[in-house]
Amino acid sequence: MDRSLSHSPTSSVAACVWIPLFALRCEEARRPELVSQPGALLAPDASRRVVWQVSPLARHAGVRPGMTVSQAIGLCPALRLCEPDPVHYDERFALLLAALARVSPVVEPAELGLAYVGMDGLEGIYGGPEGQVRAIQVWSAECGVRDETGSVDSALHTPHSALRVGWGKGKFVAWVAATRAKPGGAFIVHPGEEAEFLAAQPVAVLPLDPDAHRRLRQLGLRTLGRLAALPEEAIVSQFGRAGRRWWRLAAGATADPVVGRTLPEPISASLTFFTPVADREMLVLALERLIERALRHPRRTGWRVQAVRARAELERAASWLAAATLKDPSADRDHIAAPLKTRLAQAPPAGAVERLVVEFTAFAPGTAELQLFARDASAAARAGRRRALRSAVQEITLRLKRPMLHHVIEVQPWSRLPERRYALIDFEP
Amino acid sequence: MVPPSGTPLRVDRLRALNVPEPVTVELDEQRVPVVVRREAGNGRRVETAGEIWCIDDEWWRQPISRRYIEVLLEGGGRVVLYEDLITGEWWMQKP
Repeated sequence: MDRSLSHSPTSSVAACVWIPLFALRCEEARRPELVSQPGALLAPDASRRVVWQVSPLARHAGVRPGMTVSQAIGLCPALRLCEPDPVHYDERFALLLAALARVSPVVEPAELGLAYVGMDGLEGIYGGPEGQVRAIQVWSAECGVRDETGSVDSALHTPHSALRVGWGKGKFVAWVAATRAKPGGAFIVHPGEEAEFLAAQPVAVLPLDPDAHRRLRQLGLRTLGRLAALPEEAIVSQFGRAGRRWWRLAAGATADPVVGRTLPEPISASLTFFTPVADREMLVLALERLIERALRHPRRTGWRVQAVRARAELERAASWLAAATLKDPSADRDHIAAPLKTRLAQAPPAGAVERLVVEFTAFAPGTAELQLFARDASAAARAGRRRALRSAVQEITLRLKRPMLHHVIEVQPWSRLPERRYALIDFEP
Repeated sequence: MVPPSGTPLRVDRLRALNVPEPVTVELDEQRVPVVVRREAGNGRRVETAGEIWCIDDEWWRQPISRRYIEVLLEGGGRVVLYEDLITGEWWMQKP
């Protein structure tokens, strides 16, 4: 991992590559018989068995995401339910990202099935927007999501090909354009046409929560054009900071650039069980051992782990995946293992595990202060967390000559004078 | 908010939060601030002025008389300004 790669490349012109119902499309790609039947995927991380992604045929029969299996079958007796295979979807999406990286060095994954590609400076290679979109379609057709058997050209024209491409200035315009593209097609918003294009779009394309969407509807604001026609301050006074962002997006006044990620070099550790293991305690123990082993990897030195995932290969070719992004990057085994253990308890693998893999996929630099905490955290395991915390506080106070950690306490929370309500007091564990 | 640690509370170690900061303001004809200037820093234009309310309190010891006004500053910051009606000074704090 190269520390010099801290500045990510950016691009103001974006292409949004979107495959709706990506996981379901992956299943259809490897089991073509699903295409002609109403199908649905079960949720990978729910404690109750509920439906996650629903094919258009099943949706036509009334099946909706979030329904229980019995509800879904009751509405559509012919429904084909599939166990999810998150590792497979993850691998397919990684293939798609790799294909897009051959078009442009600036690729930003947003969610499963949705990624942005930076198109700045590519005119010389691919020509205008149409040529750039064509390059994306050609390369992504080879990633196997759309048609594993056809040639590139035939894959491009597969009727149920689901890849949509939107091209425009900034991620938002590109995303809205992708939502307007037909399956297998593209929608290009040429420079200078952004405001006119956005004005006709429904407000639902904004990143709104349901409550805000309802309020906008109640105010009679159904299109971005109507929203942008109002004064910016009026929207800000109603919706605060989020309102300002919506207004600017609607007016085409802001264009978020595509931010390419420096590709992390993952550290992984794996364990193949002699006989498949279903016992949860055994799996927790194996997870902890694998995290310890990965933490000892020389490349991890000086870095704290920010993103971790555990994947399991199950009997009968099924799989299980748990991923977590740590709010506070850590080099502490228990801290890293905690979210994975929670996932293991809430959504355990659907079968016995044959092979377990732990991967650290993103890292944060370990600063001196944080390494101090890391050392104290390991001391806590031996001598008690409170004592370690106390010594860390003392050391910080000694280094910085003044206490820097405080409790917030209520003084007069009922007071009409804001400065009388709360106070800080030195933190003493 | 963290739970109390059990340490006895010592009033001399308390530090007030959200302490008002002195500012100078430019007012329009309705005495509504249009520009707010901190002691160190450039002035920021007031984008919109919101609710206005008054507080008169503690007349039995050190009287407090303030006229508050909630404003949105240029660039997005939402703050509360108040005029000390006894001294005529202006102060700024978080809502």
